[in-house]
Amino acid sequence: MNRFIAATPAKCIGCRTCEVACVLAHANHCEGACALAEPNPAADRPSCLSFMPRLTVIKTETVSTVVNCHHCEDAPCANACPSGAIVYRKNSVQIDQDRCLGCKTCMMACPFGAMNVITVPGSRMFAGVAIATGRKAQAHKCDLCIDREGGPACVSVCPTKALRLVDRASMDETLRLRQERSVAALMASAAL
Amino acid sequence: MEKHMTVCPYCGSGCKLNLLVENNRVVGAEPLPGVTNEGELCLKGYYGWDFINDTRILTPRLKHPMIRRSRDKDFEVVSWDEAIAFAAGRLAEIKAKYGPDSIMLTGSSRGTGNESNFVMQKLARAVVGTNNVDCCARVCHGPSVSGLMVTLGNGAMSNSMNEIEDSKCILVFGYNAADSHPIVARRIIRAKEKGAKIIVCDPRHIETARISDMWLQLKNGSNMALVNAFANVLLNEGLYKADYVANYSEGFDEYKKIVSEYTPESVEEITGLSADQIREAMRMYAAAPSATILWGMGVTQWGQAVDVVKGLSSLAVLTGNLGRPNVGVGPVRGQNNVQGACDMGALPNVFPGYQSVTDAAVRAKFAKAWGVESLPDKIGLSITDVPHMVEEGKLKAFYCFGEDPAQTEPDLRLVREAFGKLDLMIVQDIFMTKTAMFADVILPATSWGEHDGVFSSADRGFQRFTKAVDAKGDVKHDWEIFGLMATALGYPMKYRDTREIWDELRELCPLYYGATYDKMDGLGYVQWPCTDLDSPGTRYLYEGNEFQRPGGKALLFASAWRPPLEKVDADYPLALCTVREVGHYSCRSMTGNCTALQTLADEPGFVTINPADAEQLGIKDQQLVWVESRRGKVIARASVTARTNKGAVYMTYQWWIGACNELTIHHVDPISKTPEYKFSAVRVEPIADQTWAEGHVQREYAALKAGLARAADKRPTAA
Repeated sequence: MNRFIAATPAKCIGCRTCEVACVLAHANHCEGACALAEPNPAADRPSCLSFMPRLTVIKTETVSTVVNCHHCEDAPCANACPSGAIVYRKNSVQIDQDRCLGCKTCMMACPFGAMNVITVPGSRMFAGVAIATGRKAQAHKCDLCIDREGGPACVSVCPTKALRLVDRASMDETLRLRQERSVAALMASAAL
Repeated sequence: MEKHMTVCPYCGSGCKLNLLVENNRVVGAEPLPGVTNEGELCLKGYYGWDFINDTRILTPRLKHPMIRRSRDKDFEVVSWDEAIAFAAGRLAEIKAKYGPDSIMLTGSSRGTGNESNFVMQKLARAVVGTNNVDCCARVCHGPSVSGLMVTLGNGAMSNSMNEIEDSKCILVFGYNAADSHPIVARRIIRAKEKGAKIIVCDPRHIETARISDMWLQLKNGSNMALVNAFANVLLNEGLYKADYVANYSEGFDEYKKIVSEYTPESVEEITGLSADQIREAMRMYAAAPSATILWGMGVTQWGQAVDVVKGLSSLAVLTGNLGRPNVGVGPVRGQNNVQGACDMGALPNVFPGYQSVTDAAVRAKFAKAWGVESLPDKIGLSITDVPHMVEEGKLKAFYCFGEDPAQTEPDLRLVREAFGKLDLMIVQDIFMTKTAMFADVILPATSWGEHDGVFSSADRGFQRFTKAVDAKGDVKHDWEIFGLMATALGYPMKYRDTREIWDELRELCPLYYGATYDKMDGLGYVQWPCTDLDSPGTRYLYEGNEFQRPGGKALLFASAWRPPLEKVDADYPLALCTVREVGHYSCRSMTGNCTALQTLADEPGFVTINPADAEQLGIKDQQLVWVESRRGKVIARASVTARTNKGAVYMTYQWWIGACNELTIHHVDPISKTPEYKFSAVRVEPIADQTWAEGHVQREYAALKAGLARAADKRPTAA
């Protein structure tokens, strides 16, 4: 089962700490203030100065919660991608950015609005030197902070514990609890 | 990597954290299991530290003392000796010519700490000879202090923040915890999970309203009417604890007479609430075995604020919700050390430890300890008195310490005019601010992260914070600067460190005597009153239902409702209410210089408006609009949301372009002198040329930033 981040609206206070954590967990080092970013040597990352979180805090009149990638088992974005850039890896849906065209088909396909397409300054390595190559498109969504020690940054900072990482084991635990509750309810009604 | 224990410099929640330091530079923050935060932080705690490193995103750090010999000249960098001599010379001149009460000083409720505030008020009282000291509690929880001092005898939260989650009913009145104190909001959520009933009184559908059992969407400006009607229900339906009232309170007859006129039906029109809702809310509150009232600026920033605080405290008295755990009255303090600035006597009526300046015995005690013949006995001026006292020619010098009134006071045009007319303005800060631009003398101080000290959190909790990095530039600790100033004014004053200051004030303040540095070591949390060395401090006040008033009883108090001063009309049909947003803090000099927080929200800031009002005005979400009052006109970005009630708009007060305080009215509560930030009549107009407007915002913003940077970036001239 693919892992995903589940949100509990009753606990969310809309503070956007998760959004900031997301941006910084994926930011490239840039001049000055980027002491903020966690060490992240990968190139082609948006600078932390361009604020592009991969999860979004949504506030309607009655709900505050996070909208984020579900890491679907049969992902519409992956099915729709013409260049095979969206792949299943480590129990999650990941983007192979080298293959991304920026065609936005995945954005159209995602029923949750969890996919975005952004552009970053492009570069490629030539003889050990980074050469600017104009713009590079990137499909932009939750990657579960797959390379981050300590797991998803949003989950670790949420001050009200409104976010949690759901994997097979925790899902099984939830199912088991609900099944037990069903049994208890059945027994109670049988006793009446 | 080094780790240095500190306390978050933003809201009053008192979250403990480590600053992570590499090569004398702060590179991160991590939460600590402090008493209030238990290993959690909000976005400001996690990402609000890089201003220390002088990011220059909004405004530069001050690095040298500067003076300006006349207002038409530029600032010039001078030595500390010259700056202090210049400032002290001018102060002495003004004092000799106009008397000590022509000089006003401020405390700072922010990162400087309690010790600096203590030394500042000592400078004011013992050296300058005036009680004209105040802090920004005036513009936030001043009414809570004034009101609760009268009704219960102590101006602070009666119970601990941690107890909120074990209360069985929480009455949230004009308090948006999610935006002001996320770490307190966490406690409210936990209370809900543990089965507490939540009642929210707020015109907006705030986060807490979402999880509430009852949301009372009262009209802006109807607080007193609602609180009186609440009391009316408690009395008429026999929901109050007659025994408790008889044994532990006084003033019942007079109280009853006033609230008896406020039947729920009689206030339906004023409050916009049905009589049933009002009754139901009080039945829920009175039925709870333990109930807590939390309030914020929605209660205090009104022309009638102290009365409402007294009214709320009376509800707690009527229902016996005081003097035990998990109950009480909770004015949750906004700034990280606004409780501390008050604790340290940065108020015009009290010495440190809430000891009255009008009490001859208290004055004699302090005079003896400080080695002066006498101390001033007249209650001093409030910060909000500054504009008209300057206008009247009674105030000549203003020594502003760690605050930015040119951003945060109401009706900024008045403030600027007043500053322009002062003979002398001294600004002591870590950043070049809009206020500092008016200064004759700028004294650069060390920042949070660069010094030690003690903060007081919102529930009276003293906690130590420590230095993480060395300050850069020719800067000094605030308390050192006050010492130099005092010495130059003829009163030698020199402290070794903050512990020495703390020990001096402990000896002078019975309430804090037992709160030693050693007790506060590490994650130590000492809530005053802590009167002896063996005491761990006081989690909740009024144990045994003994109130700190003459006679020991609580006072029941009600007052007739007064409407807000300014009226909406055809020209200005909307009520402007100023509020907070979670990612920025106070005047923004700190958070605006933090990369992550600044990218989350930047100029010109939002004006939130109900979809129906927006549609009528032809305004779409995210468009730039004009907001205009009788006092000014600014651009802001419309945020169209159903969480905002019809007929009102809301702006946050930290923006330079969308500066809502250009619009707010200077009308204050008669007792606490707190401004009515929550109600100014405005109109909102669409802007046809959005491209021009976007460009205009950027140009104005860039020009303001450049102006401040130019002023701050003066270099020392070669000797």
